[in-house]
Amino acid sequence: MLLALLLCYAGFVALCLSLDRHHGELLHSKPSPRRRLGLRVGGWLLLALSIWPAVHMAGWSRGLVDWCAVLMLSGLLLVLLLPYRPRLALILAGVGLLASPVAAFATL
Amino acid sequence: MKEGFRQAMAWLHTWAGLIFGWLLFAIFLTGTLSYFKGEITHWMQPEVPAHAVDDARSVAVAQRYLEQHAPTAARWFIGLPDSRDPGLSVMWQDKIDPGRRGNFIEKMLDPVSGEQLQARETMGGEFFYRFHFQLQMPHPWGRWLSTIAAMVMFVALITGIITHKKIFKDFFTFRPRKGQRSWLDGHNAVGVLVLPFHLMITYSSLVIFMTMVMPASIIASYDGDTRAFFNELFPATDNAPALGQPGKLLPLAPLVEQARAQWDGGHVGRLAVNNPGDVNASVNVSRAGSDRVVHDFGSTVSFNGNTGELLRVSAEQSLPMAIGGSFYGLHMGHFAGPLLRWLYFICGLAGTAMIGTGLVIWLGKRQLKHAKTGVMPFELRLVEVLNLASMSGLLIAIAVFFWANRLLPATFAERSDWEVQSFFIAWGLTLLHAMLRRGRRAWIEQLGLGAVLFMGVPLLNALTTSEHLGVSLAKGDWAMAGFDLTCLGSGLFLAWAAWKMQHRSAVQPRAERARPLTLKGEVH
Repeated sequence: MLLALLLCYAGFVALCLSLDRHHGELLHSKPSPRRRLGLRVGGWLLLALSIWPAVHMAGWSRGLVDWCAVLMLSGLLLVLLLPYRPRLALILAGVGLLASPVAAFATL
Repeated sequence: MKEGFRQAMAWLHTWAGLIFGWLLFAIFLTGTLSYFKGEITHWMQPEVPAHAVDDARSVAVAQRYLEQHAPTAARWFIGLPDSRDPGLSVMWQDKIDPGRRGNFIEKMLDPVSGEQLQARETMGGEFFYRFHFQLQMPHPWGRWLSTIAAMVMFVALITGIITHKKIFKDFFTFRPRKGQRSWLDGHNAVGVLVLPFHLMITYSSLVIFMTMVMPASIIASYDGDTRAFFNELFPATDNAPALGQPGKLLPLAPLVEQARAQWDGGHVGRLAVNNPGDVNASVNVSRAGSDRVVHDFGSTVSFNGNTGELLRVSAEQSLPMAIGGSFYGLHMGHFAGPLLRWLYFICGLAGTAMIGTGLVIWLGKRQLKHAKTGVMPFELRLVEVLNLASMSGLLIAIAVFFWANRLLPATFAERSDWEVQSFFIAWGLTLLHAMLRRGRRAWIEQLGLGAVLFMGVPLLNALTTSEHLGVSLAKGDWAMAGFDLTCLGSGLFLAWAAWKMQHRSAVQPRAERARPLTLKGEVH
C-alpha cells in the first residue's frame, strides 16, 4: 500500500502543478505549455501506474479497494498541505518519488 | 437553458441537503463509529481480557464449557474471538420451536481459562451500528427513515456534482481563513476528493435495503409471498433431526481445521452444533466475513458430529448474489485490516464533515443579510439551533455514552438501557442549551464541553479500570489503547475548534465594520 500511496501522491502533485494557479503558488512562475502537458501526462500516468502495486500486493478485489482508499486519502492530504505547508507538499512528492524504487524492491 | 438547469439542481441540493442534513450527519457519524464496532465493545467491556487469538484453543474451551453447562441443548452457537473483539461468546437454545425465535442463553468466556466472564451489561459498539440504520425507532420505521435519508443523500450528491461548476479546475483548491469562501472550499474539497466513497456508501446502503424498498418484483414473482423468496435465497441448512439416542460429540477443533482447508486457509467466524448430545449431531462451520471483499451470505461447511464425516460444502454464490454481496461487503468493510479500516474511518469522517460544512454554509449565507440588525428571523434561528444540537450536541451525547459506561455501577439494574438513555438525555439537553444561548456562545460552550468530555475519557478509564493507557500500550492491546488515544485526539480537535470560534468572535468587530460597505454594494 505504501508504494501505491507514494505514486498516487506524486501523481496528484504533478496534476496540481499542471494548473496555472497552483504552479504560480508553489513555484512562482507560469508553466510553459510543454511543461504543463508533461506534468498532466506524467500525473495521469503515475495515478494509473499506482494501481499495479496495489493489485499486485492484494489481488484484484482487495487491491482495487486499497487503491481507491489510497487515491482519496493522498488527494485529501495534498489539499490540506497546500495552503498550510506548500513547500512540504512539494518535498514530500520528491522524497516519495525517490523512495518509490526502494519501496518497490522492498515489497514486490 | 443550461444555467436554468444548474440553478434548479442547486436549489434541490440546497433544500434536500438542509432538510435531511441533520439526520444524515447523525447517520454518517454513528455509521463511521461502527467501523470500530468491535473495538468500542472491547473498550466498553474492560472485563474481557485480550489474548492472542488461537481458534483451536477457543473452540476447545467453548466445547468444554457447553458440554458441562448445556449438554442437553438443542443447539449451540460459538462465536470466535478475533483481534478486534477478544470475547469468546457461547450461546445455546434448549428447545427449537419451528417458526419462532427461541430463547437463547448467551455467556461470555475467557478464551484461555474457560471461566465465565462477568462482563458489564452494555450494547457497546452495537448501539452506534443499530442507531445508524434504525434510529432507535420501532421496527420498520427507523429503517424506512434512514433509507429515505440515503436516497436524499444520493440526490444531494448527484445534484452537488452538477452544481459544482469547476470540478477539475478547483480540484486542489482550499483557501483557509476566508470565512464563507473557506467553508465552501472545504465542502467542495471533501465532497469531490472522497466522492468515490460517498457514492459507494450511499448507493450500497440502498442495495442493502433493496428488498424492503423495492419489493415489487419479488411480490410479482412470488405472488406476494416474500417469505418464499427469502427461503429460496437463503435455504435453511436442513440438518438431520435428533434420533433420541445419546452420542459422543467429536472434538470440534479438528473439524474447524478441516473447514479452513476447504477455504484455502480462510478464517472461521462461528460454529453451530445441532443436537450436540445425539447420535445425529451435526456441526456447521461458518466462514468469517473478514476473509473477502465480496460478502458471502452463508458460506458453511457441515460435518457429522459423531463420525466427523464431511456432509456438505455450500456452493459458490450466484452472480447476482455476488454483486449484492460486494456492495454489502464494501459498505460494511468487514474485510478491512487495521490500516484500511482507519482509511474507511477517515473517509466516513470526511463524509460527516461534508454534511456539516454544508449545513454551516446554508446558515452562514443567509445570516450575512441580517448581520447589521443583529436580529435573526425565526427560521434562521431554528436552523441554528438544529445545527448546534445535531452536530456539537451529538458529539457530547457520544462522549456521555462512554462516560455512562464507566460511571454506572456494573450491578446497576438495566444498566445497558441506561447507557442508551443517558445518550439521549444528553442530546436533549444540548438541544435545550442551544435554544437558550446565542449562536456563537452556544458553539463555544458545546464544543468546549465536548472537548473536556472526550479528553477526560482516557483519564476516566484509568481511574475506573485497570486497563489504562500505560497497561494497554505495554500489553499491545491496540483496540483498547487506540480507543483512548482516539478520544484524546477528538478532544484536542474539539478544543481547537472551540478556541478558533472564541478567537474569531474576538476579531468580529473589525469584520463587522467592513461588512456594511459590501452589503450596501449588493443592495444598490
